[in-house]
Formats: sequence, C-alpha cells, structure tokens
Amino acid sequence: MTDPTPMLEVRDLEMHFPIGGGVLDRLKLDSKGLRIDRPVVHAVNGVSFRINRGQIMALVGESGCGKSTVAKTIARIYQPTAGEIRIEGEDIASYGFADMLPVRSKMQMIFQDPYASLNPRQRVRDIVAEPLLQQMKTAADRKEVPARTQALLAKVGLNAEHAGRYPHQFSGGQRQRIGIARALSVMPGLIIADEPVSALDVSIQAQILNLMMDLRDEFGLSYLFISHDLSVVHHIADTVGVMYLGFMVETAPRDTLFARPRHPYTRALLSAAPSIKARRDTEEITLMGEVPSALSLPSGCCFRTRCPFAWDRCAQERPVLKDVGDNQSVACHLIDEPERDRS
Amino acid sequence: MTTTDNTLLAVHDLRTYFHTFSGTVKAVNGVSFAIGKGEVMGLVGESGGGKSVVGFSILGLIDSPGRIMGGKILLDGEDLAQAGEDRLRQIRGREISMVFQDPMTSLNPLHTVGQQMDEVLRLHTDLDAAARRTACIEMLESVGISRAADRLGAYPHQFSGGMRQRVVIAIAMLARPRLIIADEPTTALDVTIQSQILKLMRRQIADKGASMILITHDLAVVSEMADHITVLYCGKVVERGRTRDLIETPSHPYTRGLIDSIPDPANRHARLKQIPGTVPDIRNLPQGCNFRDRCPRAQALCAEQEPELRPQNGAQWAACHYPLQPGDSA
Amino acid sequence: MSFLRSEFFYNYRRSTSAVIGSALMLTFGIAVLIGPFLVAQNPYDIAALDLMDSYKPPVWLDGGEAQFPLGTDGQGRDVWASILYGARISVFIGLVAMIASCTIGTILGLIAGFYGGIIDSVIMRIADIQLSFPSILIALFLMSAVGTGIDKVLIALTAVGWVVYARTVRGSTLSEIKKEYVQAAKVAGLPNTAIIRKHVLPNVLTPLIVIATIQVGTFVLIEASLSFLGVGVPITQPSLGLLIKNGFDVLFSGLWWTSVFPGLAIMMLVFGINLFGDFLRDELNPRLK
Repeated sequence: MTDPTPMLEVRDLEMHFPIGGGVLDRLKLDSKGLRIDRPVVHAVNGVSFRINRGQIMALVGESGCGKSTVAKTIARIYQPTAGEIRIEGEDIASYGFADMLPVRSKMQMIFQDPYASLNPRQRVRDIVAEPLLQQMKTAADRKEVPARTQALLAKVGLNAEHAGRYPHQFSGGQRQRIGIARALSVMPGLIIADEPVSALDVSIQAQILNLMMDLRDEFGLSYLFISHDLSVVHHIADTVGVMYLGFMVETAPRDTLFARPRHPYTRALLSAAPSIKARRDTEEITLMGEVPSALSLPSGCCFRTRCPFAWDRCAQERPVLKDVGDNQSVACHLIDEPERDRS
Repeated sequence: MTTTDNTLLAVHDLRTYFHTFSGTVKAVNGVSFAIGKGEVMGLVGESGGGKSVVGFSILGLIDSPGRIMGGKILLDGEDLAQAGEDRLRQIRGREISMVFQDPMTSLNPLHTVGQQMDEVLRLHTDLDAAARRTACIEMLESVGISRAADRLGAYPHQFSGGMRQRVVIAIAMLARPRLIIADEPTTALDVTIQSQILKLMRRQIADKGASMILITHDLAVVSEMADHITVLYCGKVVERGRTRDLIETPSHPYTRGLIDSIPDPANRHARLKQIPGTVPDIRNLPQGCNFRDRCPRAQALCAEQEPELRPQNGAQWAACHYPLQPGDSA
Repeated sequence: MSFLRSEFFYNYRRSTSAVIGSALMLTFGIAVLIGPFLVAQNPYDIAALDLMDSYKPPVWLDGGEAQFPLGTDGQGRDVWASILYGARISVFIGLVAMIASCTIGTILGLIAGFYGGIIDSVIMRIADIQLSFPSILIALFLMSAVGTGIDKVLIALTAVGWVVYARTVRGSTLSEIKKEYVQAAKVAGLPNTAIIRKHVLPNVLTPLIVIATIQVGTFVLIEASLSFLGVGVPITQPSLGLLIKNGFDVLFSGLWWTSVFPGLAIMMLVFGINLFGDFLRDELNPRLK
C-alpha cells in the first residue's frame, strides 16, 4: 500500500429508492386521514470500503443485498442518497452531468447481461467507441478512434472484421468481450464489473475471467467485482466484502475470509455453496427462511431474523463493522460476546 | 446399453429435431441412457447442449416445429415415444413429473396453491375431497412450508421465490411419481436457498423411492446430488459414468474442460483452464467429432470419423477417439 | 437479394392474406400515382364536363357508355375518374396525417417515458382524456372550431392520432431504459438527448410500423366520415368520402353507382391495409413467435 490515495473510496454510501407511481397512486386514506405515502426501498444502508490501485475487491451476497446497487451508484447511474464516493480522492457523489464527464474516463463498467447490455441496433465498432467519443473534443482526436477501436477488439480477442457486425451475430461470451472492450476504451483506472460472468456457460466464464485478469496485469486496473458465485470470487478477488440487506456485514482479505469467516451469514454462505469436491461432512450453518423486505428493515441487526445465534440485543442494537485484526471487519454482536457462538 | 430389472427408464438413440426456417436443429441427436429405480442421474451440458429438450421429449412435450424423429423412451418397458397423447397425459404428473427453473411458469398465477395441488390428486388418484386436502397439507409440510393448512388458500405470488419452488416440488411429488425430471431447479435461486431446496429434493427422493433426472449446467450441484452423470455436447452424449469417477477421472476432454473451468480455491494463482472457442452452430455441425475444434487432443482422425460411445474404465463411457487416461494432463 | 431469401419474405409468400392485402395496397398506390393519366376526363375541369352525360349508368347496364365504365354523376362526371382522383386525396390525407401523428406521438412518448415525473403525468393525462372521447367527435369539434379544408382535416386527424403512438412509445421506452445498454450509455457519458436519439428511439420503432400501417386505413375512414358529414374536404377537392356523400342524395332513386363504387373503393383500400397490417403484427411481434 505505497499509494496513499486509493483508486476508489466509498464512505457511508446510502441509496434509497422511492417506489413507484405518480401522486395519485400514492394517495392513501387511513386512520390518520388522507396523505401521500412515500414508501422507500432501503437498497444500500451505509456502506464503506476502499480499493487500492491494481486491487480487486469483490462484493458478494444474495439477490436483493444491494451489491449491484452499490456498483451502479458508484458508476453514478444512480444519484446516491448520502455518502461519499471518492475516485482518486475526488468526491463525485454530488457531481452533475458536466462534472462527471472527465470522471467517466477514470471509471467504466461491465454489465451482467451480455444480451441487454449491447444496443441491438448499433454496430460493434460504434458500441466500443461510444465512451471514447464522449472524451474526444477535437476532430483530430476523433480521427484516431477507428484505429483504437480495432486495437481494443484485438485486445479482447475479437477480429477486425467483427467491427462492422451487430450484437446478435455473437455468442454470449463474445458479447461480453465487446462489453469489456467498451469499458476499456477510455483506459480507465477502475472497472466496475457487475456479475460479469454469471450469465455465461462455465467454459466461457473461465475465458472471460482470464481475460479480466490479463487486462488487470497489463494495465494495472482496479476492479470492483460484483458476484454471487463464491468460487469465482475466491479465484479473482484480493479483498471481499459480504453484503446483506444493504449492509456490509463483513470485509476481509480473501484468504482470511475464506479460511476464517466470522459473521454467521458469511459462514452460512460459504457452507451453502455447492462444490465438486467430494461431499464434505463439516458441520454447517443452515439458514432458515428468506431475506426480509428492504421496504421495512428489521430493527437492530438486519440478519437477526435468519441468524441461528440471535438474541435480544440483536433486535435492539444495530451492530457496526468492528476491526478484528488482519484487516478483517465484522458487524456482529458475537464479536463482543463470543461465548454465545454455539456452533 | 444393458437394461436390468432395476431399470426404470431407458432412453435409446433418442433424436429430437426442430425444423426451422434456417435449417434443421438436431437438438437431441442419438442420446441413450438408463436410470435405475431410486437413482439420481445428472444431465449436464452447456446452453445449446440439448439437455432440456431431452427432458421435454421424455414427457412428450415437444411442440412444432420440433419432433421426435426416432429412438425409444422405455418406461418400465413401455415406449413413450410411441404412446398417444391420452396415455402421455396419464403418465405426466402420475408416473413422471417435472420441476422447472422458474416456478412462476409452472404455477398458475390465477389459482391458489391448494387448487393446483388438488387438481393433481383429482386427476391421478381416487381420493375424496377430504382425503385430498389432508394429502395436500401433509405434502406441503413435508417440503417445509409451515402453517400448511392456511397456505393452501394462498396464491403463488404470495410466496417468495424459494417457497414457490418448494410448492412446485410438493406438486411434483404429490401423485408419488416414479420419476422426477428437474430442469435447472435451483438456477434461479440464491445459494443459501439453493442448498435448502437441494437438501429437500434429496430427502423427498429418498423417502419416496423415486428416481430423478437432474438437468443442470452446474457441475457442482450435480456432483452433490447425482449417482450418475451424463454429459451432453451438441445433442450427443459425450460421456457418462458414476459421479465420483467422472469428476475425478474424466475420460472425455470436454468433461475435463468443464471441470477445469471451475475456479479451484487450492490453485488460485494459476490462470483458469479454459475451453477455447465457442460451441459450433448446431445447424451446421462439423464432420467428425463435434468437439474437435475446441479440443487439445484432436488429431486427423477426429475430423474424419465421429467417435462412438465406448466403455473406458469400468462403468465409464466416453465418445472420444483419444480419451484421457487417469493421470493424463488435459 | 438477401431480402428475397429472408424469413420475413418466406412467411410473406406463404400468407395468402398478406399477399392479397399488399396487392390491394399496391393497386391503390399505382392508382394514386398514375391514375389521373389513365383517364381522359378531369372530373374537376368544368370545361370537360357535359351535363348531357349526367347519371349515365355503368357500362354493362342499359344506356351505359364505354366512355364511362362505372357510370357518371349528376354533373356528368365519370365515376371511375372521380374515384382515381378521390383516392389520391384520401390516401394523401391518410399518409400525411399518419406521419404527423407518428412524429408528434413518438416524441411525446419518448419524453414521457424517459423523463417520467410531472412531464409524464401531464402528457399521459392529456392522452387519457383524448382517448375517452370518440375520435370522430374530437375531429368534429376541431373542424367546427377551425373550419374545413384539407389542412384542417390533417390537423384534426393528427390531434386524434398521436395518442396511440405516445402510449406505445412510452411503454417501450420504460422497458428499454431499464436495460443495461442504456445504463452503459450513461456510464459512457452520453447526454440524455443523445441517449434518447441513439439508443432508445431505434429500439422502440418496430411496433410503430404496425400501428402506422393500420392507422392509414383508419384515417381514410375517419376522413370519409367527416367529408360525408360535410365538415371534411371542400367540394373542389373531393375525396372518396365526399363522392359517397354526393351520390347519397340520389342513392334511393336507383342511381346507386355514384355512391356504391367509391364506397367499394374505400372498403378495398382499408381491407388491403388491414390484411397487410395484421401480417406485419404477427411477423414483428416477438411474443407471437
């Protein structure tokens, strides 16, 4: 960690979405009289982490845990409700369109769905060049774009003749390569990858992960890597953050997290993951029930409704992330009262 | 293929083709396998491998422009490929039932869970209304749905994704079928829910003595569930064998490639082994072995002659001219 | 040519109704383009008319003349020539009003769907109000307010016609802007106007082709109704609808041909458009495939 300014630093990020409909749809008549209801989805509730240059941080969790929202909020597809997003030290959380434009050359994104993330009516060369063209101010610069597009396609393993084709002529893996070329076009320092391999067949998954690792090595990229697949995360990440219901419940360097998970949710997640290794007989935490609604968060700890260890303190007091050494932080009251861990 | 007394379902040389505008898609092109009573067989392959079409063919659910062009589907000796629609309707739900990836597509959103369960029993059993209700409640409880009597009146949208899949499994198990075809049953679910559902399915199968075909792309899931695995590539069986044998000593380079593509925590600094290229266009398959363009072991013979499924070591079969031996590197 | 080998063309050839529909449309297209050159008489050139020729029956009836194959009206105008001239006006009005409705409706739908909020509410409530009146009534209101004439008919039809595009485009826009390629364009730094133009617009156009096709037929009918009611095109530029009206007064005195032939012409035009429109709907709707 020689570089003092991290590539990305997120502090207390919050993202709440008001839910749907116009004023008329939200009008409610109840015992308190006629009023306009404003239900809010608490998608992200105070998440903090940092990614150093050349590092890969993975966010894992189940659907609805807010990991994709974190990614899209950092990419400023959404306007964050609160918190700081520092790209190389510069807080972009409240930037408007014009302020964001130069930041877009430092940060790009790879999307999950290789079918929905490419405009079906655009040719590959136009898709790849799109972020680049926004950064090019002079006609002289723009002249270089076709050559750079060709070079980018070659870099991700596509041919020059692919440039004139439309997305539907490609397989899922090739489409994801096009998406990577697009993200790479402005030579960003940070790439936010939202489930980049989860829609791909396993053999293609390996191709894309290898490509992403090669690009990291070649250009010194940092990744924020969103995934629900623990084996992929274990392979690619340097640091892992585990999210549940919009909260970060545990962060740690990869080896620490996989060897000594501390939060009950992390432990459950690890033990639930299927593996091709011979059947394990290790005792595991089995979770009952399902994730509560982000419309009304449980009081205290977000995980207590499914936690096998929960006691009354968990309902009263929301645990905060505490450093437990080795760069591992855990948000769980068991850290204070380890004797309650009966596993 | 040997058929013993213990065989429940034997599929011989099944061919299901789709005649589309842009050519004939041989989605299933000569697939054979057998499942014993009480066994779980994993049907594994990537998208386009034809694994779902195998499941639909067994149930006679192939719609135009698709057609079963040949082969036998023997359920206890009765050929379902020749059976009429009336007979197939009796078999579906009663003898063979199906669990799909998306529970919303197999549950009718306009009917309560109770109505949908009751319908299965009415069609396939002689029970009276009270007995049917009791059976439904028992079944819901056995798949881990609490307050089952109350939940009978609930509609599918009132359940969460995992609960819905439990309901689908309950409906599939209701008439005590002898075979369950589960097509990617946990792919849409989160990992903690997936492990709940897999455990549930394992227990239900064991309790009821049913057999199961588990169709999935996820080798990790089948390796935890199945007794045997059949690997499909471009509509053909490339390898089959007992689960542990197949995972630990795969004979076909494709199987080996699939296994090696899964990130291995023990060997994390290495690059992932990848299968190069992409699946060929199924309307326009190469001559010889379908896998040869992506295969590290391919030689001249592979371009000329299509490999037959042959026994490798013991109970393991592979369709490869140059199969891997235990200890070979890929 | 690759179009002749495409699946679209293959299905088209196998669809009898699509072939009939497009043949009718093509016939009218040719009639509109070169029709006036096919007939000797210009029915609106007073000098070419001869009152002695009035109410001649069609050629196959007693008293019919080969010069007037479908008979003549009270001014001695050739009905066949009137239809060719009238179809020109009807089709022109249908096409122009469709293009205007489509343009305005698409723009409003894009704005409503993309920006949402108040703008969306305002546009869509206006559309709702619009839809709650019969379209002929709205047109009648407008015509009585602004007067008659081809330009007024066009305004009235456009005021009626934009709603269907706005609603369709808004719906498609809402589903497109959730897709990741639109988010990718935001991350690329594209301003909203460019996102709408380059990404959303090309992807919401397909369903409009069907609507636009069928709407031409609808507009021909509405225009005919308005003209029949006397608030449509002026008497000097008679459309098919006005021809029907002109003949209507004498319809029951046995002089049926002056009304019936223009009526049949409208019917065949609209029928052809609808047949072809239905084929397009089946072909272009991915959900029916």
